[in-house]
Amino acid sequence: MNLRRTTITAALSILLLYGGLIVSLAWFLDLSALSGAVQSERTLAAVRISLVAATLASSLAMLLAVPAAYGLSRFHFRGRELVDTILEFPIIVSPAALGAMLLIFFNNPLGEWVQENMIRFVFTFAGIVLAQFVTILGIAVRMLKTSFDEVPTELETVARTLGATPRFAFFTITLPLARHGLVAAYILTWAKALGEFGATIMVAGTMAMRTETLPIAIYMRLATADIEGTVALILVLVVIGLLALFITRKLLGRTVYA
Amino acid sequence: MLNIEALSVAAGSFHLRDVNLSVSAGECHAVIGPSGSGKSTLLNAILGVLPLGNGRILLEGADITNLPIEQRNLGYVPQQLGLFPHLTVRDNLAYSARARHLARAQYQPLIDKLVNTTGIHSLLDRRPMTLSGGERQRVGIVRALASQPRLVLLDEPFTALNESLRRELWMVMRDLQRESQLTVLLITHDLSEAYFLADRVTILLDGRVIQQGEKANVYGRPVAPEVARFLGVETLQPGRVLSVDNGLATVAVGAARLIALAQTTLPESVLISIRGEDVTLERPGGVAGSARNRLTARVIGVRAGSPLICVELDAGFPLRAFITRSACEELEIAEGTEVVALIKAPAIHLIGRCQQNLT
Repeated sequence: MNLRRTTITAALSILLLYGGLIVSLAWFLDLSALSGAVQSERTLAAVRISLVAATLASSLAMLLAVPAAYGLSRFHFRGRELVDTILEFPIIVSPAALGAMLLIFFNNPLGEWVQENMIRFVFTFAGIVLAQFVTILGIAVRMLKTSFDEVPTELETVARTLGATPRFAFFTITLPLARHGLVAAYILTWAKALGEFGATIMVAGTMAMRTETLPIAIYMRLATADIEGTVALILVLVVIGLLALFITRKLLGRTVYA
Repeated sequence: MLNIEALSVAAGSFHLRDVNLSVSAGECHAVIGPSGSGKSTLLNAILGVLPLGNGRILLEGADITNLPIEQRNLGYVPQQLGLFPHLTVRDNLAYSARARHLARAQYQPLIDKLVNTTGIHSLLDRRPMTLSGGERQRVGIVRALASQPRLVLLDEPFTALNESLRRELWMVMRDLQRESQLTVLLITHDLSEAYFLADRVTILLDGRVIQQGEKANVYGRPVAPEVARFLGVETLQPGRVLSVDNGLATVAVGAARLIALAQTTLPESVLISIRGEDVTLERPGGVAGSARNRLTARVIGVRAGSPLICVELDAGFPLRAFITRSACEELEIAEGTEVVALIKAPAIHLIGRCQQNLT
C-alpha cells in the first residue's frame, strides 16, 4: 500500500470510528423518548446550566489566558519555564483528580475561608464554572501562546517605531493577527467545558435542576438504565458540540488576508 | 545627528564591542559587514529592542539610550518589511498617524506626496499579500517616511528582490533621500548597494568597527586585510618594501617590483591591494603611458562576469584585471596570451601587515 492510500485510509478510519459511534445510537433511538427528553424541564435545565457554565468558564479562562499566553510568548521572566510546563497539568492529571483536588482545597482552612467569606463553590453552580475553568485554562493558554508565537515580533517593533505604545501595538497588530487562534481557542475550550464531567461531578455534585450539566445528566440516566433517555441526551450534546466545531472550521477556513 | 558612543551590546553569545559611529544630518550612511558581523545587533540597539551593556546613543544631541522605541522617532524598514498583513496599504501608511492620534490634515498631505513620488497610488486599497515584491518595498519605505522620522533605518530592505528591481528601487530611495534630505542608516552586506546609496560607510567585522569613512576611500584603501577580503579586493598579495623615496614606495611582490604611493610610514612587510578595475591591459609593444607600473603578464584564466570579464594573470605574482567584453575581443585574450598590465601608483594600496597572518 502506498503512502497516499495508507494516510487516506487512516484519516477515513477516524471518521468511521466516531461516525460509527454516533450512528450506533440509532439502535436505541426512540423518537418519543427523544422528544420527551428534549422537552423535559430537567433536560432543558441541564442544557441551560451547561451552556451558561461553559460560556462563563471559557470566557473567564480567555480573560486570564490572553495576557498570560502573550507574556509567555514574548517575555523572558523567572518561572517562565515552570509556567510553560504546568500548562499541561490539566491534561496529564485526569479531570476527576483535578475535581478531587479542588474539593480537598475547599476543605482546608483557606478553602473554607473562601467558601464562607467569598463564594460557595462546593455543590453550587459556581463550582461547575470553577471545575470547567480549571480544566480548560491550561489548554486555552497553550493554544493562544501558539497563536501569538505565529505573529512576528518584528511587526510589533515596526508598529512601535511608527509611534505605537506596546498596548496600542498589541490591540491593533498582535490581537487582530492572532484572532483566528483566539476564536479557535475560545470555541474549542468552550466545547471541552461543555463536555466536562469528572471535575464537575466532584465539585458540584449531581443535583437535578441545580448542578446537573448535560454530561452529568447522561451519566445519571445511564446509571438508572434509561438507555433511550441517555441516547436522547447524548444526541443533544453531540448536536451542540458539532455545531460549535462546524462554526470553528468555518471561521478558521477563511482565506487569510488575501 | 546620530552619534553612537562606545556602544557595547550582548546578544546571546555574540558581543558588539565599543562601537563609535556618527551620521550627519542628510547623510546616507551604510554599515556593511558579512552575516554574523553584528549589523542586526547594532540596529536593534539603535531601535531600542536590545538593552545596551555600555555606551550611549544620541540623536540630534538628545540622549535616546533609555527612551522607549515609540519615543525615538525612527523610521524602520526591516528586511521582511513588516507590512501589517491585515491592513490595507492605505491603513498601513496611516498607522503612524493613528498611533499618534494625529488629525487627517496633519498627515495626509505628506502621504499623498510620497504616494505620488513612488507611484503607489493604485495600491492603496490592496492588502500587502496581494502586492509584488517591488510594490511591497515601496509601501514599506513610504510608510516609514510618512511618520516623519528623524532617522531612517534600512535593514537590507532590497535583498529579496531581483537585480533589476533592486537597482530600480535604489534609484527611488536615493531620489527620496536627496529630495527630502533624509538621514539614513543603511544596514547591508551588499557592497554595490552600499556604494550606490551611501555617502559614508562603516565596516563592521566580528562585532567591531574596523573602518569608517568616505565610501571611495574605504573601498579603495582598506585598512586591514580582513576589510580588503570582505570588500572583495581582487588582488591581495604579500610584499616587501624595498625603498621609499619622494612619497613613492618600491615594493617587491613575488617576482615583480611595483611602485606605489607611500602616504604613511610603512613597515617592511606589507600587503598590496589592487582593485581589478584599476588594472588596464594592452598588447605588448604598445605606447608607454603615464602608468608607473608596466608589467609583462601571461593570461592564466578568463572568467565571464557581468558586465566586466575577470582576467587572471601571472605578472610575477597573481594579478586580476577587469576588462570589458569588447576589450577582451580586441586584445584576443585567451589562456596563454601575453599582455602588458598597467597599474598607476595611486591604484596600489599598501596595508601594513603588522603581524597579520596572511599567506
